[in-house]
Amino acid sequence: MTVEFPPAPAVAGFSLSGDKPFTIDSAENAALCRSTGVEPAADGTAHEIYFFIGTQVGMGQTVAGLCQVCEFDVEEGPMMGGSQVTFQQPLKVDQPYLVTGEIKSLTRKPSRKFGAMDMLEYELRLSLPDGTPVLSTTNTWALPRRNLV
Amino acid sequence: MTSSASNLTVGTALQPFRLEFVDPEWMKTWAVALHDPNPIHLDVEVVKAKGLGDRVINQGPANLAYIINMLKKAIPGSTIESLDVRYVDNVLGGDAVEAAGSVTDIAIDASGTRITCDVWLKADARDLVIKGVAVVSIAV
Repeated sequence: MTVEFPPAPAVAGFSLSGDKPFTIDSAENAALCRSTGVEPAADGTAHEIYFFIGTQVGMGQTVAGLCQVCEFDVEEGPMMGGSQVTFQQPLKVDQPYLVTGEIKSLTRKPSRKFGAMDMLEYELRLSLPDGTPVLSTTNTWALPRRNLV
Repeated sequence: MTSSASNLTVGTALQPFRLEFVDPEWMKTWAVALHDPNPIHLDVEVVKAKGLGDRVINQGPANLAYIINMLKKAIPGSTIESLDVRYVDNVLGGDAVEAAGSVTDIAIDASGTRITCDVWLKADARDLVIKGVAVVSIAV
């Protein structure tokens, strides 16, 4: 028997561009490096994981806000599905960056575990204030839709 | 087993990066950095109430950071060009984890050496947490 679900919210193209620069704090970078078992770089470069942190913090939505755009309550537990990133240049501490991006797709599909889930894909780009590209990243989240079954 | 580009070949196993104890205290620092106050990373009582076990859950980006550390240590002097990973499972507070990888392709041109690797993170208690592909480069 095929189960019919209502369509996912039409959010493709929704802007996730931030409205103010994001700067990697050198003390925070040092703390996060040490939390993962390494010392911060001495040359002013930041840990590469700031590709995720910087774009998430600098985009125009909080995680809860992004979920809300998708008509999903963050309390339901969004799950990270995957991350892709391509670097054009290294990340540096104390360097302002701008974040632009948008939702690429929200696709509803059956789930053996949850009954139904929406797969959210969004792309974010980090650039220098003069527009020079630094990196682009695409994240995928699974949003379980227990209420649809 | 730390490698320079000259002694890497397809199939070379990268030196693992191991963390013996994922400290729940550090999850508070990550929560602030990520601007993500989700209590499943911070409050074990919330984790229990949600039926997610009895230990706080490490943030996914922290898990990916262990893989990045492995790449940087295993191939000194390299620059990460790209990562493409899937989050398969969680790391829990108190877990021991190990990031590792293997070389799948090496391309050399005038600008340097580009090395493609399968990478993964495993938690001792539950096996695979992250898997994916990384491309790193070493300039001439």
